[in-house]
Amino acid sequence: MLAIDVQDLRKQFNVQKNREGLSGALKDLFKREYNQITAVKDISFQIPQGEICGYIGENGAGKSTTIKMLTGILVPTSGHIKVNGFVPFKEREKFVKGIGVVFGQRSQLWWDIGVIESFQLLRKVYRVPEDEFRKRLDELVERLQLGELLNRPVRKLSLGQRMRCELVASLLHNPSILFLDEPTIGLDIVVKTEIRDFLMKINREHGTTILLTTHDLQDIEALCSRVIMLDDGRIIYDGGLDELKSRWSKGREIHFQFAEHPQLDNLRVLTDGLGVSWSQDNELTATMFLPHAVNVSDALARVVGGGAGIRDIKIVETNTDEIVREIYQSGSASSEATKKLGNVVALDKEAHQGNE
Amino acid sequence: MMFYWSLCVEYMKNYAKTRLTYRADFWIEVLSDILFQGLNLIFILIVFQHTPSLGGWSEAEVVFVYGFFMIPYGVFGTFFNLWSFSERYIVKGEMDRILTRPAYNLYQIVLENIDPPSIFGSIFGAVIMIISWSQLGLPFEALDALMLVVFTVGAVMIYAGLYTALTAISFYSDAPTGILPLMWNIQNYGRYPINIYNKTIRFLLTWLLPFAFVGVIPASYFLDRHEEGLTTLALFTPVVGIVVLVIGITIWNHGVKRYRGAGS
Repeated sequence: MLAIDVQDLRKQFNVQKNREGLSGALKDLFKREYNQITAVKDISFQIPQGEICGYIGENGAGKSTTIKMLTGILVPTSGHIKVNGFVPFKEREKFVKGIGVVFGQRSQLWWDIGVIESFQLLRKVYRVPEDEFRKRLDELVERLQLGELLNRPVRKLSLGQRMRCELVASLLHNPSILFLDEPTIGLDIVVKTEIRDFLMKINREHGTTILLTTHDLQDIEALCSRVIMLDDGRIIYDGGLDELKSRWSKGREIHFQFAEHPQLDNLRVLTDGLGVSWSQDNELTATMFLPHAVNVSDALARVVGGGAGIRDIKIVETNTDEIVREIYQSGSASSEATKKLGNVVALDKEAHQGNE
Repeated sequence: MMFYWSLCVEYMKNYAKTRLTYRADFWIEVLSDILFQGLNLIFILIVFQHTPSLGGWSEAEVVFVYGFFMIPYGVFGTFFNLWSFSERYIVKGEMDRILTRPAYNLYQIVLENIDPPSIFGSIFGAVIMIISWSQLGLPFEALDALMLVVFTVGAVMIYAGLYTALTAISFYSDAPTGILPLMWNIQNYGRYPINIYNKTIRFLLTWLLPFAFVGVIPASYFLDRHEEGLTTLALFTPVVGIVVLVIGITIWNHGVKRYRGAGS
């Protein structure tokens, strides 16, 4: 069964235009002008039950807007949504019983009262029976080691402690879908890892479907079997992370440290015909960029065989961060980006021909 | 129904836990509330130093109306403390959290902002009413007690409906700053004898913004003021209450659909 089914989803906002200066402000007073902004442009995707799906994109790409439509907070302008078999904004009160929501930037807990009291209040709101609540709370508290935090008021918790409490709060009613909007924002690496492990376990043991947005690609690498990438309100990629990497990463870089000042021209001559490019980093080091098509051993053999004294060699694979950064940068005109993702290979070649 | 009642109890408990730790704060709020109402009362007394009657209403009667007005007003203030709604729920986006919980959204907001000190205003009002009741030498029957409850409920519904509608403006407009204070002024007119105003204002206060139904109209039932059919009109208080509340909630529900969330 599909946990989330979205068809041609669209959301438009009217944003008031503020004209410049005092005279502009006066004009605005009497006659307002609006800009229509389409935050989400006819997207479609399906997420089966039990999947962990990462939802990424630049700031303002429409991630939060989508999540808010999926959780029933916003009413879509057009399109169809089915989450857990409900149309979220229509039967909201029934629908939200089956989902958990964590917004990293906003607290779900009551600021002034003890954590445990917030949980008790949520128990009432979600109508969880006392014994079930106890069992679940004990399990979650043990998993996230919250024991001694439970009696403290939320405002006295650190961000990491608070975020762990937020997770517990969103899971108390045993939801089948969990929405996380930047759950690891601002957290240190220890807490991040803890939260990732925890989410993995929840997913494995309870079959909870998880949809998370994040800017930290490590979250995605650790958790997600699938990534949906959004740019300017459109989906530009939907698939596995490995595939994204192999389709987008252009090649590897090899850093050489030489015994003496290398001559780039000599190096270029050595590797002539391979399709690699060189750049000088500083006096003793140079970097060779080689596309996937080129064999590493071939290139290395040529350089080593060329007689230059080499002190050190380092091979660097383009990491996800860089890949995604590149997609964001080139993806500002989104149709172009989509095209690019389709014909990465072709474009790759063009780019390198351009380099040479 | 049981569910909503138990939620109310739970929120009250939490209010007690957080706020009663600052006991001084609690009593200062009670005191300032009562002082504020007391000043209004003094204003009435001063007016009557200069004139024996106001549109045919004696001092004791006007004070009686004021006392009655304070009862629903205190109840309303306890539950509809929504002055910072736009700021807190729309601008800061806390409405997001409300909307992801399985209980009626307006009810959750009402409970989160509950303000029990206001209820002391009702008690104060009841005391004023009892004093002027005996001053006026009115008879007291069991039916009066029942009607008092019915009128209070009706009046609270009128207030709740009007302010729900007004608060819902935040969903439609970016900064509805001016309207609430304006309303605040208009509602004050409802506690004085309605026949001292001209026709337009009377019509406005009776049918458009029925603030007369939270003060002078129901109070006149007890005072037996038959002029202009006030006593009969009083019996419609609960009906007007239901109509206004339904309109208010409709506007609210429609507004929630237009909620657009804060950025991020």
